[in-house]
Amino acid sequence: MTALRWIASGLLLASLAAGTIGDSPRAHPPMILGGYRVMAADFHVHSFPLSWATLSPWDTAIEAQRQGLDAIAIVGHNHVWVSKVGRWFSRRWGGPLVLTGEEIVSAHYHLLAIGIDSTIDWRQTAVSAIREIHRQGGVAIAAHPLAGSWPAYDAQARQALDGAEVLHPIAYESADLATQLRQFYGSAPLTAIGDSDYHGLGPIGICRTYVFTKEETQPGILDAIRHGRTVVYDRAGRAYGDPDLIRVAAADGRLPRLDSTPAPSMFSRIAAILGLTAAAIAGLSLPGERDGQECHKVK
Amino acid sequence: MVALVLGCTMSLITSAGLTLRLAGPAAVYWSFVPLAEIAALAAVCWPERRRRPFRQVVDLFFAGHGPWLFWLIGLSAIWCFAPPSRAFAFTRVWLYGAGAIVIVWSAYIDFCFFRFVMARSPARATRDLLLQRLVSWALIIAIFGGPAIPPEVVARLGARLGP
Repeated sequence: MTALRWIASGLLLASLAAGTIGDSPRAHPPMILGGYRVMAADFHVHSFPLSWATLSPWDTAIEAQRQGLDAIAIVGHNHVWVSKVGRWFSRRWGGPLVLTGEEIVSAHYHLLAIGIDSTIDWRQTAVSAIREIHRQGGVAIAAHPLAGSWPAYDAQARQALDGAEVLHPIAYESADLATQLRQFYGSAPLTAIGDSDYHGLGPIGICRTYVFTKEETQPGILDAIRHGRTVVYDRAGRAYGDPDLIRVAAADGRLPRLDSTPAPSMFSRIAAILGLTAAAIAGLSLPGERDGQECHKVK
Repeated sequence: MVALVLGCTMSLITSAGLTLRLAGPAAVYWSFVPLAEIAALAAVCWPERRRRPFRQVVDLFFAGHGPWLFWLIGLSAIWCFAPPSRAFAFTRVWLYGAGAIVIVWSAYIDFCFFRFVMARSPARATRDLLLQRLVSWALIIAIFGGPAIPPEVVARLGARLGP
């Protein structure tokens, strides 16, 4: 068991060293297009605790920068306080712009409230929730609006919405789900949004929105969403959003850009998995075995 | 060990690699999981601390966490080696498919823990297992899931919205 522990420690340390050394974010020069500052944003990011997410707000902000994002909205499930913690940290640390927000998780719809300050009650219709978001100065984005949630968005609600997620990781799972997102987006004049709905799995910003802003601030981003100044690319290269901006971006040729820190080497990844497995096996020895004493097998 | 694997898992599923920046802090704040389990174990085993030191009880209880650790390592492997576009689908299968197996397997191991290590009758071992699960999982789910749980329950039950 001692040899196994040495092997586990060696593999984990080697992987940790390789991962940590290669962890610095890439240079991320600002992009100007058509007279606007283009910001890469993800408006659907969850943080630990209370939102089924794995990373703390501060780790989330750092990770967003590592993935080349200029702005994120940390949206707690039915609460805003975690997003305020994230915003406070990112301002202090010099990280990406963190917008405050909430994902209103109701029984019938999920709605992103971006740029609000107070928690909005989930026990109301979509249209009344959207009114409350607007009253607080925020924007309302339909989160992963699959067919099951369409009845919650009546004509009045769709007119009041500012945007809808036309791209979301569920689009990678099934062509049918991707079609449903596109159909909802096409059902009303909505701003195109691409979000990763980040809960800790995979990179933040795997789906992202390019926002064409007049200023790099929360009001600047909210204004761009209200006026439809966004472009979203799916993995097939199809673009959604303002047709003029899509043309400008196509002529320029720099979008989509990811600017993510490259994944660690294969050696580092294999070492991590083998090291963890060896550590788990070594760590699961019974207390008597660990101390080199006689121990009765009890399990 | 549980906190270490949890911290490393959080780093691996996010960045496909181990970094001190992610694994270190995550191991700290994810230690709420083993702490919740220890609290639940105390609720069940505290009265017998004179017969067997509680520290030893905790050690023996966590020695039965193999299925959970390997489930976490499997999840990490998916995000280390599968492209993100496929990893979401693999994850769904792993979370629910392998997760269901692990729930049953670990329940059997912990039943044996209460039955043979703590020398309970079969009925008492079952009761203690359920109580330990109820307390620890309620704590973990409340901290992890939080305010979205009521509407999710309402949605699953198909109930109508409140006012």
